[in-house]
Amino acid sequence: MIDRATAPLVSVSGLQKAYGALQVLQGIDLTMKPGERLVVIGPSGGGKSTLLRVMMGLENINGGSITFAGKPYIHAGATPAKTAIDVQVRRSIGMVFQHYTLFPHLNVLQNLILAPCKVRGEKKSAATERANTLLIRFGLGQKATAFPSQLSGGQKQRVAIARALMLDPKLMLFDEVTSALDPELVGEVEQVILQLARQNMPMMIVTHDMWFAKNIASRVLFCAGGFIVEDGPPEQVLGAPKEERTKDFIDRVFHIRQ
Amino acid sequence: MNYSFDFQSVTRNFGPLLDGLVVTLQLTAAANLIGLTLGFVVALMVMSRWGVVRWPATMFVEFFRCTPALVQIVWFFYCVPMLFNVFLGSVTMGIVALGLNLTAFNAEAYRASIQAVPREQLDAGIALGLNPLQRILYIVLPNAFRASVPVLLTNGIGIFQQSALVAIVAVQDLMYQGKTLATQTYRPIETFTIVALIYFAVSFPVGQLVGYLERRRATLAE
Repeated sequence: MIDRATAPLVSVSGLQKAYGALQVLQGIDLTMKPGERLVVIGPSGGGKSTLLRVMMGLENINGGSITFAGKPYIHAGATPAKTAIDVQVRRSIGMVFQHYTLFPHLNVLQNLILAPCKVRGEKKSAATERANTLLIRFGLGQKATAFPSQLSGGQKQRVAIARALMLDPKLMLFDEVTSALDPELVGEVEQVILQLARQNMPMMIVTHDMWFAKNIASRVLFCAGGFIVEDGPPEQVLGAPKEERTKDFIDRVFHIRQ
Repeated sequence: MNYSFDFQSVTRNFGPLLDGLVVTLQLTAAANLIGLTLGFVVALMVMSRWGVVRWPATMFVEFFRCTPALVQIVWFFYCVPMLFNVFLGSVTMGIVALGLNLTAFNAEAYRASIQAVPREQLDAGIALGLNPLQRILYIVLPNAFRASVPVLLTNGIGIFQQSALVAIVAVQDLMYQGKTLATQTYRPIETFTIVALIYFAVSFPVGQLVGYLERRRATLAE
């Protein structure tokens, strides 16, 4: 029998992804245990966002496979177009993006209940009740009837996180969710993600914010050139990297070595 | 210039002008009904992945966008009865010509706004588990429709103005009534000034509304 505590939540093997002739992921192997919080760092174009997009089932792949909670999830086919993605499994993963996250024609509450009502067939009243509870928890209780255009960038991202949580995801993916925000709004979004971390929500986070990476990660991956160059606890990867490429990168973004 | 203006000769005969305005408004409304619905269908066809569907629709759009509306109206009026043995009243003919012209322009407006929906919106839809049909119904179309409203209104009021062209095939619209009145009263300056003012009085508020909607949309955009 599989030991539930140590059985991997995600298991990626030989994952390859190319955009035309550009090979973005060159054979990624990765296992993630339940309760782990992976922070993916690395230079632009190194494949970190692509890795998250593939995990969300937004991209076809050129090779390899992913299993999720012991179930086959994504499997490469003879051609990228024939990538097999299990949409049922996909529904247990939630994602928040950098830009244009909320549906502009729906208010905050409608954004939150759209998927629960349409995808899961949940009653509107029940979904509304859950949505209001989440909004209050994220300090957005007053904003239920506001439209996205009336929210600050930080509020939009918090709503986007709440919207993803409405579907009770088993894994949350955050793709540079604070990169487009004004500096003073970054904190409120990171606080919400830290709050989820305290509840042991498994997550994969792509970020350029090293302070945040250090605070939230249980494990850090340094991705460059389509490979995972270094993989280890935050103290190691951010504090005392073993690989030369990681060292260079950390020096450049951290300014002062921690 | 030694000309004494006599606007009363026109205002005394305001009845026919109003009758003409009613016909013009009817033409506009009917053409818009065709343009708004058929335009949407044609836009979907233009974006089809199948060439058999895409090509005729694209040809249709380009034909109407690349020929003068006046020629289209005259062609419909003279050629359709001869080629297809179909005899329709001149008003119906005007509606069909104007409606198809508007269909082509509105198809472009719909297509542009559908294609302008940010990719991230669709990604968010997938991440929320919506199936392809749900993504179109709940994300793409409401987004696109809102974006296209100012252009659809501009096209719609454009047809209101273009409809003056049907006077040439004896549809008794505002322009036709104006021409008749000018001939009867020998007061072309006064008559056509008033006709122009009537067109302006209808078009101007719509133009203002479009401007308002565009400003509002600019502030709504993320």
